[in-house]
This record gives sequence, structure tokens and C-alpha cells, in this order.
Amino acid sequence: MDEGEFNGRVRKLKITDNIKELQTVLRDKTTSRSDFIFYADRLIRLLVEEGLNQLPYRECSIVTPTGHSYNGLRYQKGNCGVSIMRSGEAMEQGLRDCCRSIRIGKILIQSDEETHKAKVVYAKLPPDISQRKVLLMYPIMSTGNTVAQAIKVLREHKVNEDNVILLNLFCTPQAAKNVIAESPGITILTSEIHPVAPNHFGQKYFGTE
Amino acid sequence: MSDVLNNNKNDVDNQLAEDKVKVGEDDEINSYGDKHYTTTTTPTTPTKPTKSPTKSISAKKKVKAQAAYTKSSGRVVYTGSRTLYTAGRPPWYDSQGQLKKPFVIGICGGSASGKTTASRKIIEALDVPWVSLLSMDSFYKVLNKEQHEQAARNEYNFDHPDAFDFKLLIATLKRLKEGKIVKVPVYNFNTHGREPADKTIYGANVVIFEGIMIFYSKELLNLMDMKIFIDTDSDVRLARRLKRDISDRGRDLGGVLHQYNKFVKPAFEHYIEPTMSVADIIVPRGGENDVAINLIVMHVHTQLQNRGFKLRSKLANAACNGEPTPSSLYVLEQTSQIKGLHTFIRNKDTARDEFIFYSQRLMRLLFEYAMSMIPFKSVRIETPQNVPYEGKRLTNIKICGVSILRAGETMEPALCAVCKNIQIGKILIQTNLDTGEPELHYLRLPKDIKEQYVMLLDATVATGAAAIMAIRVLLDHDVKEDHITLCSLLMAESGVHSVAYAFPKVKIVTTAVDKEVNEKFHILPGIEIFFRFP
Repeated sequence: MDEGEFNGRVRKLKITDNIKELQTVLRDKTTSRSDFIFYADRLIRLLVEEGLNQLPYRECSIVTPTGHSYNGLRYQKGNCGVSIMRSGEAMEQGLRDCCRSIRIGKILIQSDEETHKAKVVYAKLPPDISQRKVLLMYPIMSTGNTVAQAIKVLREHKVNEDNVILLNLFCTPQAAKNVIAESPGITILTSEIHPVAPNHFGQKYFGTE
Repeated sequence: MSDVLNNNKNDVDNQLAEDKVKVGEDDEINSYGDKHYTTTTTPTTPTKPTKSPTKSISAKKKVKAQAAYTKSSGRVVYTGSRTLYTAGRPPWYDSQGQLKKPFVIGICGGSASGKTTASRKIIEALDVPWVSLLSMDSFYKVLNKEQHEQAARNEYNFDHPDAFDFKLLIATLKRLKEGKIVKVPVYNFNTHGREPADKTIYGANVVIFEGIMIFYSKELLNLMDMKIFIDTDSDVRLARRLKRDISDRGRDLGGVLHQYNKFVKPAFEHYIEPTMSVADIIVPRGGENDVAINLIVMHVHTQLQNRGFKLRSKLANAACNGEPTPSSLYVLEQTSQIKGLHTFIRNKDTARDEFIFYSQRLMRLLFEYAMSMIPFKSVRIETPQNVPYEGKRLTNIKICGVSILRAGETMEPALCAVCKNIQIGKILIQTNLDTGEPELHYLRLPKDIKEQYVMLLDATVATGAAAIMAIRVLLDHDVKEDHITLCSLLMAESGVHSVAYAFPKVKIVTTAVDKEVNEKFHILPGIEIFFRFP
């Protein structure tokens, strides 16, 4: 984990050659769709696991089958996921694969074709979301407008900014700056900060190119 | 010999197949079939080299002969069409993973002297698994057109050293002596060429090598640990030949005698009989000489015992206190996440489905981590945004998985989720409850494995005995040591040290290392053994 600028609010996955390859395949325009989904799911899984790593836990001691004790830890309950439609939905499965019974809310945000302003079209969230830690899912950020809108929705539902972790695959430095400026309490977890965002992600993942 | 070679070798194969079925029907346990034909893992493909048909006894007699060797040693159990092995190959290397050389017995003698019978009796009486039988008949040279015609007229001399491919023979035996896997050609006596498919023989503890001219080459002699000459009276040998060729093969007396006088007898006098002087033991009357066979077997047993040892207890006791962590060990970063997953899978009260779920998550992280050890190259790619991107891709070498059954198998889904379309081989190693030693029972590996990177999967590594055996198998298949990554959920410190000490270039990747191993070789504090998997 690289604790970068932004007061440690933006965290990056530790980049190994392996993860670099995942990013390379996702950015390569010659990648087939089946490869794209396979590699995207791998990267999403790693990101989700790292996201869960950020959640609070308490220490505990358990007994192993050999009768010895093991000092472990247990994660606290009360988390949920929120995906920003449509591309955020690509990350839902990855979260479900790690937390089988987690509640997942959805927010649909679309850009107004004339003003290019992000507009909330639809939001369905767990009723007690204000009590929960929120893993907000959105894979690609180029301006950060969409995410800023989504956080606004969460705020309207009385979610504390400090309880929001944004799971993101690729973001531009500008987007990170914008989101943090607007919501200084949020944590952004991403795999790469790069001036060019792979905006084809959602289209290619869902096959609607 | 030459008359022999025109016969159809398929006769022999059919005969063998029949014998097998027969034994199966009788529900008898065919220990002979196990040890003789099957050196390792391929119960249905015998490793017995092609024999010239005249040497086989008639089908009826053969079944009888085999019944005599049948013994309820419990090594092989036939259940319908499947053959189950109940005992595997004990370690053929020392606690540092270095090879113990197999014991090579050379059996030489004239045509129809009873070499095959003697070999069989020795194998039977030895009663050790993992014996390979190599026959010189597999190494006849491929004939050209002219020679082929000569052979058809019975004018080609198969009883001459020039008829054998000594170069290949020496190379093959050398590799067997190194414990490596070898491809033995299958000689087709109709076409006088080699069949496209070779037979595979795995390295063994004892290699029996028989043929009429195996003492002819000095280099071959140097590879043998024991040289036996079967000295059967030439009248007896001629009588056997006449009986085989005339009553079993329907040849005429004149032809057989012509052949015998022109090729077989002079060859024996020139090339075979003189080599008797290099033999350690000369056995009169061949396979019927039980006293001689028993003496030979006793000697081989003594030799094998001198080479043997208790491997696993030696590994467990290997002092590793205070030794620094080997540099080939890579442990997944112990984040709270990893620790949390471990808490679930180590808890004795965790339900089975939860155990599977959490261990699979951990395995997936393990493989993503293990993948980062494999060499990548820098590439520059084109993006849909038309801005080039500097990235990394795997080098062109393929990756395959090899799981150590059974626990290693539970890791396969996670590996498949990380490596698209990966080939997975299997190695079955089980602990012999009597000796506490690991034994190799079965293996099936991808064909071109020697070119590949191998992810070796074993869920838990306690003493490292099974892992070392599996790595040894991979090395015997010419996999490069630094191309092997041992992936494991949990390892004991002693296991890490044993593996790292034996194979310093093998990368060891795990999610946690525990301190101790108890007297039952369980890791402490440990993990639920993988019996929980379906």
C-alpha cells in the first residue's frame, strides 16, 4: 500500500509485475473481450480484497483442530456495498465473491447530454446505510463528477463521509483531486493513477461497444 | 533370432491383454503384473518392452506361469476395469533431495536361454515396487529398404552387434541410472522401424536390463551394478527354439535350422559366449535355478538396504533452530485481511462450507502473489485512447499447475481463476502408514512440462516430504529447478527449511508459516486438514 498524497486519503494497490500485467491487458486495444473480462475480474478481486483490508476489526483468539490456540482477528459487522451504475456493477460480483451475504445498493448517474452535468437518475440503498461502512464501487474516474454526485446522494442518506471507501481501478490525478476536495473524509482505493483513463472499460466489459 | 522378428508382435500384446483379463476375472491379486509391467503410474500401459514372440511361452502356459507368481501382496487390486494401487514408490533420493542411483542388474545370455524367466523370478522374489525392465530388443536399428528385403528372406543378421542401436541404448540406460524418465522406442518387427509412439519408463529403484549382447559394450558394462550371465546348454536352447518356432509358429524344420546355423550359433560363439568372463554371476540352467535366484535376490536386498533410510523422520528432525529464513521463501504480506481469513480457516468450529469459502479466497490471493514471481517483460501497447501505454506482460514461457493429490487438488479452482486455460497435472503421493514414508502412486503431467513454469500445489507442507518427492519428480521430467514454485496455504518451519535446503532454486510461496510439527507430522497451531473438502 502506497500512502500517497492527499493526506493518505488516496491509497494505491501495491503494484507488482503481476498487477501491472492486469492493467496492461485492460488497456491494450487488441485484447479480446473474454480476456478483458477475465483480467478485469482478477484486478477487481484484488481491489475488493484490499478494500476489505481497510475495514475495522477486533482481535480474538480461537482454537485450532489440533487443540492449540491461535490469535486471530475478526472483522466487524455492518458493512455494505454501493455500486454506481452502470460500470460499477462490474465490480459487484467481485464483492459478492468475497462477502457472500453483503447488502449492495445502487445509484444510477447519467450525464446530461447538453450540459454534460452528472445527474442522479435512481438510487436504492439499504435503509440503515447511515450506520454502515460503505464500499462505493466505480471502476474508472476521469473527472470525478459522477463519484462526487454519488457521494452527495450518500450524504443525503446521512452516511458519514469517513465511512466511505471508494473502490476504483483507474483514476486520473484530476479526478482524485476533485473528489477529495469535495469530500475530504472519503478514502479512495485505486490500482493506478494515470493521466489517461481507459474510458472504454464499461463498454468493453458489458459488450456494448 | 531373425526368424523371430518377422512375427507379429501384436500376438504378444493380445496375449498379455488376455492374461490380464483372466487374472481380473479370478479376482486374484496380480503382484507380478504390478511390479513387472508397471513401474509407476500407468496401470493400463505396461512398460514391458516389446518381446520377440518366440520368446513368449504359449498363451496357456503363460497364464499358468503367471498364476505361479500371483501372490496376495496387496499391492494391486483390480476392481472391474480399474486398477487401484495400494502401495507406491518410496523415496528414491536422500533427505537433501539428491538422487540415489538405482540398482542396475544386467542379464545376458544366448537366445532362448531363459533370460526373461530369470528376470521375472528376480522381480517377483525382490518384492520391491518400482522396478523397471528394459529389454535390448527395443533397440534394434531401423532397417533401410535393402536390409528390409534381406530380413524378409531371412538373410538379415539380427544376431550381430551392428543390428543394435548401442548409442541410444547407452543414453537411455544412463538416464534411467540418473532416475530420469526415458522414452523407449517401440520396435515394430513387421516394418523393422520404430513406432511413432514411444513407451515411457520412469526412473526406478531397480532396473533390470536384459538382452543377448548387453555385455558387448564397455560403456554399458560400466552402468551395471550386477552382471548375470544365464548359461543354458546350447542343446537345450536349440530344443526350445525348435519347439517355439515349429509348434507355436508353424515354421519348417529346415528353415529354423538354417537360421540357427547361419546366424544364431555363430553369433553366440563370437559375441555372446566370450562375454561370460565379465559376468559377476553365471547362472546355469537359467530361470529354473532357484538357488541362484535366491542368492541374487539376497544380495540385491542388502544393496538396497544400504542405500535406504528413514526419510520423513529425518526431515522432521532436521535442525532448523536459529537458521535464517531461506531467501527462496515468500510469505504473503500479513495484513489484517489475511489474518482474518486465517482466523476463519483455523477455527475448529468453522462450518465446512465457510471453511471452503475462506480458504478459496486465501488461495486466490496466494496465486496472485505467486504469479508476481514469474518473469515479466516490459511492453509498449496501443490503447483505445490512442495513447501508448508502458506495461508488462508475461514472457512467452507457458505456466502449468501440478497438484499433489489430494489436498493440492483443492487449490486448482483458485489457480484456474488466476491463470486462464491453465493445464494441470497431478501427482498422487500418500504416506505409507507402516513406514511413515511418502510413496508415489500416480502421476500425470503435461506433455511439454520441461519447457514450462510449474506451480506446484500442496495445501499444507509439514515435513516437506511429499513436496520434496513431487519436486524430485518434476526435476526427473527435466523441469528446470528455478521454474518451480511451490504454493501452499500453510507451511511448518521445518518443511520450509527442508525444501529450501534440498532445492534452493525452487520458490516457496505460502500464506503463513507455523513454528512446529507434532509427532503425527501435523502443523501447530495448524489448520483443519483438508478432509473438509468434498
